[in-house]
Amino acid sequence: MAELYVKPGNKERGWNDPPQFSYGLQTQAGGPRRSLLTKRVAAPQDGSPRVPASETSPGPPPMGPPPPSSKAPRSPPVGSGPASGVEPTSFPVESEAVMEDVLRPLEQALEDCRGHTRVCDDISRRLALLQEQWAGGKLSIPVKKRMALLVQELSSHRWDAADDIHRSLMVDHVTEVSQWMVGVKRLIAEKRSLFSEEAANEEKSAATAEKNHTIPGFQQAS
Amino acid sequence: MATYLEFIQQNEERDGVRFSWNVWPSSRLEATRMVVPLACLLTPLKERPDLPPVQYEPVLCSRPTCKAVLNPLCQVDYRAKLWACNFCFQRNQFPPAYGGISEVNQPAELMPQFSTIEYVIQEDDLQALKESLQMSLSLLPPDALVGLITFGRMVQVHELSCEGISKSYVFRGTKDLTAKQIQDMLGLTKPAMPMQQARPAQPQEHPFASSRFLQPVHKIDMNLTDLLGELQRDPWPVTQGKRPLRSTGVALSIAVGLLEGTFPNTGARIMLFTGGPPTQGPGMVVGDELKIPIRSWHDIEKDNARFMKKATKHYEMLANRTAANGHCIDIYACALDQTGLLEMKCCANLTGGYMVMGDSFNTSLFKQTFQRIFTKDFNGDFRMAFGATLDVKTSRELKIAGAIGPCVSLNVKGPCVSENELGVGGTSQWKICGLDPTSTLGIYFEVVNQHNTPIPQGGRGAIQFVTHYQHSSTQRRIRVTTIARNWADVQSQLRHIEAAFDQEAAAVLMARLGVFRAESEEGPDVLRWLDRQLIRLCQKFGQYNKEDPTSFRLSDSFSLYPQFMFHLRRSPFLQVFNNSPDESSYYRHHFARQDLTQSLIMIQPILYSYSFHGPPEPVLLDSSSILADRILLMDTFFQIVIYLGETIAQWRKAGYQDMPEYENFKHLLQAPLDDAQEILQARFPMPRYINTEHGGSQARFLLSKVNPSQTHNNLYAWGQETGAPILTDDVSLQVFMDHLKKLAVSSAC
Repeated sequence: MAELYVKPGNKERGWNDPPQFSYGLQTQAGGPRRSLLTKRVAAPQDGSPRVPASETSPGPPPMGPPPPSSKAPRSPPVGSGPASGVEPTSFPVESEAVMEDVLRPLEQALEDCRGHTRVCDDISRRLALLQEQWAGGKLSIPVKKRMALLVQELSSHRWDAADDIHRSLMVDHVTEVSQWMVGVKRLIAEKRSLFSEEAANEEKSAATAEKNHTIPGFQQAS
Repeated sequence: MATYLEFIQQNEERDGVRFSWNVWPSSRLEATRMVVPLACLLTPLKERPDLPPVQYEPVLCSRPTCKAVLNPLCQVDYRAKLWACNFCFQRNQFPPAYGGISEVNQPAELMPQFSTIEYVIQEDDLQALKESLQMSLSLLPPDALVGLITFGRMVQVHELSCEGISKSYVFRGTKDLTAKQIQDMLGLTKPAMPMQQARPAQPQEHPFASSRFLQPVHKIDMNLTDLLGELQRDPWPVTQGKRPLRSTGVALSIAVGLLEGTFPNTGARIMLFTGGPPTQGPGMVVGDELKIPIRSWHDIEKDNARFMKKATKHYEMLANRTAANGHCIDIYACALDQTGLLEMKCCANLTGGYMVMGDSFNTSLFKQTFQRIFTKDFNGDFRMAFGATLDVKTSRELKIAGAIGPCVSLNVKGPCVSENELGVGGTSQWKICGLDPTSTLGIYFEVVNQHNTPIPQGGRGAIQFVTHYQHSSTQRRIRVTTIARNWADVQSQLRHIEAAFDQEAAAVLMARLGVFRAESEEGPDVLRWLDRQLIRLCQKFGQYNKEDPTSFRLSDSFSLYPQFMFHLRRSPFLQVFNNSPDESSYYRHHFARQDLTQSLIMIQPILYSYSFHGPPEPVLLDSSSILADRILLMDTFFQIVIYLGETIAQWRKAGYQDMPEYENFKHLLQAPLDDAQEILQARFPMPRYINTEHGGSQARFLLSKVNPSQTHNNLYAWGQETGAPILTDDVSLQVFMDHLKKLAVSSAC
């Protein structure tokens, strides 16, 4: 779901700046990786320089073409993506996320939370900013797409997934989203706590109802 | 337009301009005859409530003598993404951000109604830092407490709990304050209440005083995001020839004092973000005159570093206090020039905090390194731990000489403690305030058994390591590791002891000792010490005939050790020439805490070769490994270098990788890139990435690391022109080994 891409680093500001990995790729990396390249070769004990197997003949290097594919000695390595110069969007062409589909559920969620928290005005202000930026064409396609996914997860009560998408947007597109994303983050948190409150209340009332019916033969206390 | 009156009015409203003549006489002579000169009245800041500033920088004409700004009068070729300056007719390329423009999607500055337009100049670097900090709020756990202190000429401690108005406590950046003064000024100490006789004691409602400055993320993330967004550069103007005033010493002092008074002995990090050296107040590292440069190694050697001793003392005092409180200090320094890491390094080294050094906050190196601090493990917990104490116990034949790593001594004496110190000694317990799964200490022991005391049959020595720490889930944990190893009589079981030698661990442990010494001894003395140890080791464990260097052999378990020492001698940890004092401090900081595999990479970089002759294989870190038909991948820990041999580079230039019948060449080019990516994806801190080829200027990173077995001095001595000669006078491994063998077999030593 989160994008997996690698962008080149900022060569203008940092010499030899390394490439930038998207949030998806970084979290995929997971736990500590054993460095695969760790072997060394001992220097020869007798002191002569090691003559490598692929000795080039003295004289001008042969500038013929490389050996053609038919005698490929090794299978192509499976890389996790090109390491340089690739544009971010790697998704197949789909219909673009619709602004209303994203904003309506967010505003609905805000309404649900109103009365339960004092910061609704602040969140509302940020949602308005989101709408303004979206309508003004200031948001890139990946951001819009991921927001649509976030809203889906939110509507399905998958709080952790929604939270993860918000994090991935903050990491990969902070310049575009930083002004309003914190409002969305807070909305997810408020919805989550509201939902678990309601669930707890439901459980309590269900338990009380059950208590009144469990023991046959006893008079109900009036 | 019916009359010019309308035209004049519209133009004044839009552009703030009124001309004497709105149609211009076309010749000089005619113009002078019109009596009233061609002139205008300009109101540059005319109010335009309908004109919001655009949030990007203006596009300028590339001709150095022109530099006119892109405007609606310019001719534009939307397909070729070119524009012609209407003043000098230069054709200019649009910057990449304008890739999406078209006739129907014009940027504002090309539209006629925007004949007047206002641009906002972003402070590039500060903006990048602000965004990284805002992003970090999303990565922190919701109940983590955060606070913000900003500093420049003054130091501001921001109050986070107030709604609406932003308030802060301002301190002068020139005056250091004690912890108590800071706590008093911030209102963190309860004032003495006068007792009133008549009234019963009312329960005082003291809101937790620190909550004004430290609040949980889930409560103040919106306020703090806005506060960060509004941060500006220090408003005090910086005159020409001067550095901006930076009161880092006082800011850090206040941060330490604030945490000391509010959350002692709880896991906490003080993260210092700095874009230049401290130039004011205690802890200043350089004055504000730009013409006086910051100290170099040369200055330090000549005792010409005015501020160094005092500044180092200031930061050492802060570092020790912080470690005593169980907190750690991270330093994130991004600037093109030095920032004072040499003086401030104890803050990170004694507390287990991180040190990150970059050119700018607007680089992937800083941004991703900073993100990686918040990585989580397979359980979803942060990979950082706090407030650790390490307690080491030994069986009675051993004593503890000391430890080298990101720790401070807890001064715990006892029967296990040796009088001979190696590293931080005189104790059997150390404190490591900040650590992660790769933090590694070097711990040194002394065997105290008397020479003729017999060893019980099957006797083993034992060591127990007990680490108390606070897990990132706030749970307190204790990890206990108990190990044992057999004793052996050296005279009768030398071969056995030899076979059990771990040359990799030995190399790293000796290297840490060397680097530890280098902090207080002269460079050449450290090298002499290192050499002496190596010679003695070879004398003891080599197989040779006396006075016959050619007979010298080392068993397999020692075969790599001399090479490690050779590369260590050339490493930036012991060779400070060619690095600034800050760079040396940075390299040494990381060396003193990494695990064995990473430390070895730092001592002797890994070199792998990719070619058509077989699968990727490790090759000797030697100039003879640089061949025309190979791609080399070198990992020095701080840099990943991919180097294309001459023939490979020519093939790539010819474009063979794009031809379907040469697909294997495309795979060959891709293989090292994929392996490099695996390293780049996981390493902390993020290394630099250099993709170069034969003859490229960046190839120097490879050439300076490989053993120069072929130099301009001996190119023809070997009789074969294999490999690339290195232009250097450094001694090669062969010469080094020759000397070593001579000295080892000599009975004079």
